[in-house]
Amino acid sequence: MAVPPSLYTIRIRGRLGATALSAFPTMEAELNGAETVLTGVLEDQSAMFGVLAQIEALGLELLELRPAEPAPGRESPASGEGGSP
Amino acid sequence: MTNVSGTRGLLDRKDLLRRLDQAVTRRLTVISAPPGSGKTSLLRAWADHSKRLHRVAFVSVERDLRSDQRFWCAVLDAVRSTAGEAPAEVDQVIDSVLSEIAGQTEPVVLIIDDLHELRSADAPAQLEYFLAHLPSTTHLVLSSRRDPPIRLHQLRLADAIAEIRADDLRFTEDETRELLAGSTVSLSGEGVAALHQRTEGWAAGLRLAVISLTGHPEPERFVAEFSGTDRAIGEYLMAEMLERQPSEVRRLLLRTSLVDRMNGELADLLAGRSGSEQILLALEEANAFVVSLDAERTWFRYHQLLANFLRLELRRTSADEVPDLHRRAGRWFADRGNVVEAVRHLVAAGDWPEAARLVADHSFRWVLNGQAGTIRAVLQAFPEGASADHPDLALAHAAAELNQGRAEEAAAQLELAEAHLGSATPAHRSRLAVAIASLRLALARHSGQFSAVIEQVRMLEASMADEPGEPFAMDSELRGVALLNLGIVETWTGRLLEAERHLTEGAALARRTGRPYLEVACRAHQGFPSASVSVATARERGLEAVALAERHGLDDRPILAPALGAAGGMAIWMGEFDEGERWLQRAWEVGAGHVEPAIAVLLHLAAGMVHAGRGQQRSALEAFTAAARAQSLLTGVHALAPRITGWLATTQARLGMPAQARATLAGPSPDPGRTGPIVNARAWLCLVDGNPGLAVEALRPVRETTPPIEPFTLVEAHLLAGTAYLRLGDRDAAAAATAAALATAEPDRLIFPFAMTEAAELLGVLRHHETAHGALLADINDQLRGASPPNTDRVPLPRSGELTPSELRVLGLLPTNLTRAEIARDLHVSIHTVNTHIRNLYAKLGVGDRSAAVQNARRLRLLSNRNSAAAPQ
Repeated sequence: MAVPPSLYTIRIRGRLGATALSAFPTMEAELNGAETVLTGVLEDQSAMFGVLAQIEALGLELLELRPAEPAPGRESPASGEGGSP
Repeated sequence: MTNVSGTRGLLDRKDLLRRLDQAVTRRLTVISAPPGSGKTSLLRAWADHSKRLHRVAFVSVERDLRSDQRFWCAVLDAVRSTAGEAPAEVDQVIDSVLSEIAGQTEPVVLIIDDLHELRSADAPAQLEYFLAHLPSTTHLVLSSRRDPPIRLHQLRLADAIAEIRADDLRFTEDETRELLAGSTVSLSGEGVAALHQRTEGWAAGLRLAVISLTGHPEPERFVAEFSGTDRAIGEYLMAEMLERQPSEVRRLLLRTSLVDRMNGELADLLAGRSGSEQILLALEEANAFVVSLDAERTWFRYHQLLANFLRLELRRTSADEVPDLHRRAGRWFADRGNVVEAVRHLVAAGDWPEAARLVADHSFRWVLNGQAGTIRAVLQAFPEGASADHPDLALAHAAAELNQGRAEEAAAQLELAEAHLGSATPAHRSRLAVAIASLRLALARHSGQFSAVIEQVRMLEASMADEPGEPFAMDSELRGVALLNLGIVETWTGRLLEAERHLTEGAALARRTGRPYLEVACRAHQGFPSASVSVATARERGLEAVALAERHGLDDRPILAPALGAAGGMAIWMGEFDEGERWLQRAWEVGAGHVEPAIAVLLHLAAGMVHAGRGQQRSALEAFTAAARAQSLLTGVHALAPRITGWLATTQARLGMPAQARATLAGPSPDPGRTGPIVNARAWLCLVDGNPGLAVEALRPVRETTPPIEPFTLVEAHLLAGTAYLRLGDRDAAAAATAAALATAEPDRLIFPFAMTEAAELLGVLRHHETAHGALLADINDQLRGASPPNTDRVPLPRSGELTPSELRVLGLLPTNLTRAEIARDLHVSIHTVNTHIRNLYAKLGVGDRSAAVQNARRLRLLSNRNSAAAPQ
């Protein structure tokens, strides 16, 4: 299945708590070792810059931002608006 | 060897301070690092420490600042020693900053902190211009989360820049130790090392840790837990710090996080308690990310990192309280006149009607102060289409559109507002009606619906008189607007005595209420002669209005066009054609493509006079035709309409087009008492037809009316009669008519009619009889012979040496397709500067537009040998 170009993965240094995660309500978060991986649909450039601004505003360290790879377990990438766990 | 400065608990970071000291010899220092790196603390410490050596000006860019005008005004306030008014145009503010700095005797260090908050698209170009024009003794420091949007590369190559970046700002382990030693925290050597390692010397992390560690029962355990967790540093430490605060402090921090700044009173209101100020002061002293904003320490804000964290936490834990907090903050700001903040909070609270009402209450003042940008910024806070539901918003939109000369859009918004009148409460309705009437007035004036304006003013006066007891917030402003529009319309419709009264009253009111824009607007329309105002006085008044506008930095506003046109027109009546043309040119320039039709009538007519006076009948015909066309755009009849008709017909007759001339005169006849110019034109036609007897008869009523008609028409009538008598062979009558013309022309030196009527032969008859007006006669003869009257400064076409190097650079770019803004960018100057150069170039080249400038410049070989120097890189 082709991945829509608007689905992105963002890696942030450190595990985020509930407060910081609430800054990214449209993204799905996964704590992975000493990193937090956010995955979600970023409609356009503005949405992308909006998320980057949030990361900066909270003093978080951005490690990587890239188009998401197809995740084997995920049903539909378009439904990635589930919010934080 | 600990060095903790003042009560702030900040560390003196000697290495970094030294680097800043050394950088002063270069032009620019850039500090570029993420939030919490300690940029502001470092700059504050350095500013304190270098005050002895330099004059230090410190500017903190306010949060999310979209107005470059506000930014530069803040810079201006910081660099000048005494407060004062700032010019209205941003380019002029920048130039004021530059001249203020240039006027300082000691070297200036200008620090601009939080530059990333400046969100204006024009800011990069402005900063580049600013940097390029800073005196060499000035050092600029820019501090930002991101590299500032200027061309750093070139500065690096020129070794003109010092840079301090995130890695440079990290605390060393020694500094970490010093920081802890300066606090009450005692921590083992291993603890310090672990803390330094875990925070990687990040200033905010260390400060947060110190706050949590202060008074902590087991500091070593805190560090061990912090070191052992994978949590993101900032969030972990902020959560820890918040957790360790007493509950009332936590509540205060959370509930005040929604406002960008607060004082004790606002904090009490939001936290629902008293004594907030003491808590805020204590937090600031503990260096707990609370910053006081004034020397008296009454206003505070939170460090951005903490504020962002607190807002998230508030929304997460008490989402239902958020709208109410916004509403409270909004009302508090509204009560204190901070409308922009108030609207922001009220919209955030979902309280659009109240926010819309606030906008309506203030939009007039913003318009009157030329703050159209503020209106647009405030309107942006509302969702699109909100004005369909809120008449007050529609009104604000209408004001903003009208301010930009978009009459149709303004009319559409006004209709939206009117549609709601019926459903408004009685009190609200009368306020809406007054505001609508006032805007209708400006709109009607703009489209030349003169009688509608007068009717609107009557409505306005009636509705204002309806509530004599009620103190009405916009009373004086509305009255000012009404007087201005009424006076303008009376001017254009020739009711000059009434206009005089209303405009004088409007200007006085504007001065009293501190509205320079309104005052200039009133004065700009008082430069016209009437029964009580001579041509010379009118000219003086035009010049005074221009000077007033210059004093207030308003001399590039379209509203000044009538004053410039009057100054030009009166110069032309006095025979100073070159001088007059220069003023007319400026009038077109300030109009910037939005010259109101009523003003265009004046400017075209005056241009036609110059051509006719110089005997250029073809060009005169074009100008008079353009004036007639502008008049046809007006719904009402312009006071100058008979004059246009008269001279248009005259010019047609002189060009051998008698049929067209007759058709022109066959149009609607003017009001009785204003037929002078038409009668003069009929006399011209009789003369052209070879019927001087009929001309004399036609002119009789004009020449013999008591009290006499306005002198400029009368002089022309006498001269035409003189010519007719000459053709009839009655030299005595011709001489008498000419003497009467001279006597009428003398007080105001009305030379133009003599040039217009080609009176040389007539004056020859006179010479043997009459010498009473010798000086005037000499000037007229000079004018008729093609020389200038003695007091005009005729400008010969310049040699290249008479253009300044800057003007030559601009001139070099005129043959291109570049717009003025693009020329400004290419030359690294402001558009204001380019406009000035172009104005001077046009004047020096004696032209009125770009293509003529290029043509003349080519002819004078100003372009060919300068091309290489002037070409953009």
